[in-house]
Amino acid sequence: MASRAEPRAGRRLLAAWLAGVFAVSALRDARALAAVALLALLLFRRGASRTLRRTARAVLPVSAGLSLASLVFLRVTGGAWPPAEPYLALCLRAAVIGFATFSVLDRVDLLRSLAPSPTLTRLLVVTLAQIHALRLVATESRDGLRSRLPRRPGALDLTRNAGAITAVLFTLAARNARDISDAMRARGF
Amino acid sequence: MHVPDGFISPALSLPAYAACAPLWAWGARRHLGRDAVESLPVVGTLTALAFVIQTIMIPVPGGTSTHLVGVMLLALLYHPLLAFLCESLVLLVQALFFGAGGVTVLGVNALAMGLLGPLAGWLAWRALRRFSEPAGLFAAGWVSMQVATLAVVGALALQHRLDPGYLPTPPAVLLTAMMVPSLTVAGVVEGLYTVFALSLVRKARFRGVEG
Repeated sequence: MASRAEPRAGRRLLAAWLAGVFAVSALRDARALAAVALLALLLFRRGASRTLRRTARAVLPVSAGLSLASLVFLRVTGGAWPPAEPYLALCLRAAVIGFATFSVLDRVDLLRSLAPSPTLTRLLVVTLAQIHALRLVATESRDGLRSRLPRRPGALDLTRNAGAITAVLFTLAARNARDISDAMRARGF
Repeated sequence: MHVPDGFISPALSLPAYAACAPLWAWGARRHLGRDAVESLPVVGTLTALAFVIQTIMIPVPGGTSTHLVGVMLLALLYHPLLAFLCESLVLLVQALFFGAGGVTVLGVNALAMGLLGPLAGWLAWRALRRFSEPAGLFAAGWVSMQVATLAVVGALALQHRLDPGYLPTPPAVLLTAMMVPSLTVAGVVEGLYTVFALSLVRKARFRGVEG
């Protein structure tokens, strides 16, 4: 894990990232995007190889897959290969935004950076804590289903099990919300 | 089903944010305002619930898989606008903490998956429930998936029309790549899931479907 920036520096980095990704999302020229990609690699060179692998896994399958499908479709319907540059620009744009996002999020302690907004911080803390709690229950339920069935669970088994676990999660979520509400009230909110 | 970062230019993503802003402001004032001690934990836990439901993967023929959305359930159990607020928070958490989805397209995705889909499903359920409750619930799940996917395809097709050099993927490819899985598999799974989950939530004596 990369070292985390101080809250104020983290906020500045977040603001720069937000402005940066919107600016990159406006670019359509492949050369300009390649230059921005180089700049991003230079700025976030620490841990770049890991972030590049993550970007390749998370971002490229969709943009590259759709680009390939489009190229083949246009070749079949139009009789000639379309120019590749717009597709290259699309893949580069998605990759640069993904790389910058992963790099910045690795360097920022989000909850400390968001501290000036107590409501948002509280909401995110509650949400993240509940995600971890509910995920455990969902994972246990899925493992339980797998161990009960003599065969690999099919789509219908998993859908029915998802319905059952949703009822449990709803009940848990309602109880947890009441507990959190009581805890907040006890702390003078 | 998400629109990924880099597929929509600010010419569309910023108006989408502008469209979401009054709804988010309404939601924040209603659910996170003066009575936040009561409502903030509810919004937080329901957001977490929607997030966790979306991590449940269902294998489909062909070796791939689809995931549940679950926002339709929140719309049926509470209100479509609360579902919109929760789905927006799910998208924010996915973008900021898990690096999934995208922050530039958050407005577009929130409108498609959090508002238009659940609202259409909710209207389908209201129209059909008098004939058959299970059919109404199935239709709610199926319709919400189709409308959300169609909205995503519509946003991408509009981007292609505005500037084909920016998004060169033809609408026919987008429509085929997204609507065929949605119509044949993901919608059916979401519909069945909505029927199963709602009937069990009711049996658990949790707050019933009131509209």
